[in-house]
Amino acid sequence: MSEPIIEVRDLVRKFGSRSVLNGISFTVEKGDTLIIMGGSGCGKSTLLRHIIGSLKPTSGSIKIFGREITTMPPKELEQLRLRFGMNFQFGALLQSLTVGENVALPLLENSRVDPSIVDLVVKLKLELVGLTGFEHLKPSEISGGMRKRVGLARAVALDPELLFSDEPTSGLDPIMTAVIDQFTIDLTRKLGMTAVVVTHDMVSAFHIATKMIVLGAGEKQGQIIAMGTPDEIRNSPNAEVQQFINGEPDGPIPLKLAPEDYITRLIGRPHREDL
Amino acid sequence: MRSYLALNVQILYWLFVGPFRGRPIRLSAVFQQMIRIGVQAFPMASLTSLSIGITLAMQGANELARMGAAAYVPDLIAMSLLRELGPLLVGVVVIGRSASSITAELGTMKVSEEIEALEVMSINPVRYLVLPRFLAMMIMLPVLTVFGSYVGMAGGWLICHFSLDIETTAYIRRLIESSTPIDLYSGTVKSIVFAWLIVTIACSYGLEARGGAEGVGRSTTNSVVMCILMMLIANAALTALFFVAES
Repeated sequence: MSEPIIEVRDLVRKFGSRSVLNGISFTVEKGDTLIIMGGSGCGKSTLLRHIIGSLKPTSGSIKIFGREITTMPPKELEQLRLRFGMNFQFGALLQSLTVGENVALPLLENSRVDPSIVDLVVKLKLELVGLTGFEHLKPSEISGGMRKRVGLARAVALDPELLFSDEPTSGLDPIMTAVIDQFTIDLTRKLGMTAVVVTHDMVSAFHIATKMIVLGAGEKQGQIIAMGTPDEIRNSPNAEVQQFINGEPDGPIPLKLAPEDYITRLIGRPHREDL
Repeated sequence: MRSYLALNVQILYWLFVGPFRGRPIRLSAVFQQMIRIGVQAFPMASLTSLSIGITLAMQGANELARMGAAAYVPDLIAMSLLRELGPLLVGVVVIGRSASSITAELGTMKVSEEIEALEVMSINPVRYLVLPRFLAMMIMLPVLTVFGSYVGMAGGWLICHFSLDIETTAYIRRLIESSTPIDLYSGTVKSIVFAWLIVTIACSYGLEARGGAEGVGRSTTNSVVMCILMMLIANAALTALFFVAES
């Protein structure tokens, strides 16, 4: 088996005394589409931020293309980052530039592409995410979903080997969601790109995934509670996973607390009859 | 403090080393910032300097006339504008206009993940965002200062000519005789130091902003306060230094 593209080992991250990531380990092979799932606030985006090197872990190791990034000097990390693209949750477009200039930015700054070709590549990438003709608008003049798609176009502008996407389809209409899903599938299956996608959208998750991990909540905060192919996850015996993928309000993650716990949380101490 | 020094080192790196490693300075962005920081500040800087020139002349005329020395008003104007008030006032105008806007702009980019996005795209934020602002400030503040000092002298002329009956030619001659090139140089050196302080402090507060709109607001306030404070301290230190150097 070839060397994994991403290898995460025992990743722990604490913010103060709170463990947001607690012993995460997984690998991603070339051509895989890894879906990271889990409830809001379970650490999905934090995990992604660690993999792209924006945050440093408290302990553990992260290898990308076989190279340890947690201890890598900034200069080398900068070089390594040229090989991957990141699509941020809210697009993170530069507000002072137009849509076209945003997509052109990595091309102009990090490649030796001739400026006359840049225009062509920008049009091509925007076409792929269904945004032809929007080049001259500012990010503030387009909708949140469109911004997200521009972010995706920018992330793939340099045809990276590895694509990270933070909730690429949330807030998109069903047709656009399908377009973006198909786009991700094309990139990975046809062009051999590897993708890591954080999403809440179960339909698109099972559609594009080759591998999935589910992060736990509550006591299992920051741990992987299930990992495997979409079929394995769908048939997982873990009740919490079933609750999550079926979207049930009550289950192992309780809708309501027991009355005693509820009172304790409200008044900050256990309720005692004798007082 | 550590991150402030690191920012200074990074600026110097991207200014002197970066261009030789295939990372050229973005000249178009420098010119863009020169217009925003410098050219667009000309009206405000002129107005401030003009009013201070007029005020200086009126105060000077009032005091010096009592000692029968009204003819020395131009000397007072030239010295105080070139050495002290010119650099300081233009500095205050530029802090109000540009230091605040630099901090707010970079701070907003920071809290909306734009800076992180740049880093992930392997675009160094110091090279891409800070360096153009740095160069623009280092060029335009001294230019504005020299310009402001002369507008201030024009303001002084208004009073001298219309109320003290000093001839225009006599006023200009008096200005030239009373001031030496050293006066101009010391003011310019001051403005270069101010420019460095203002732009690095403003950028460093911007890049460290956190906590949404409120955080950006707080950073901007702190940045302006710190810029003014550091400028006043540097001004006192430089004045002392010039006195020592000249005596």
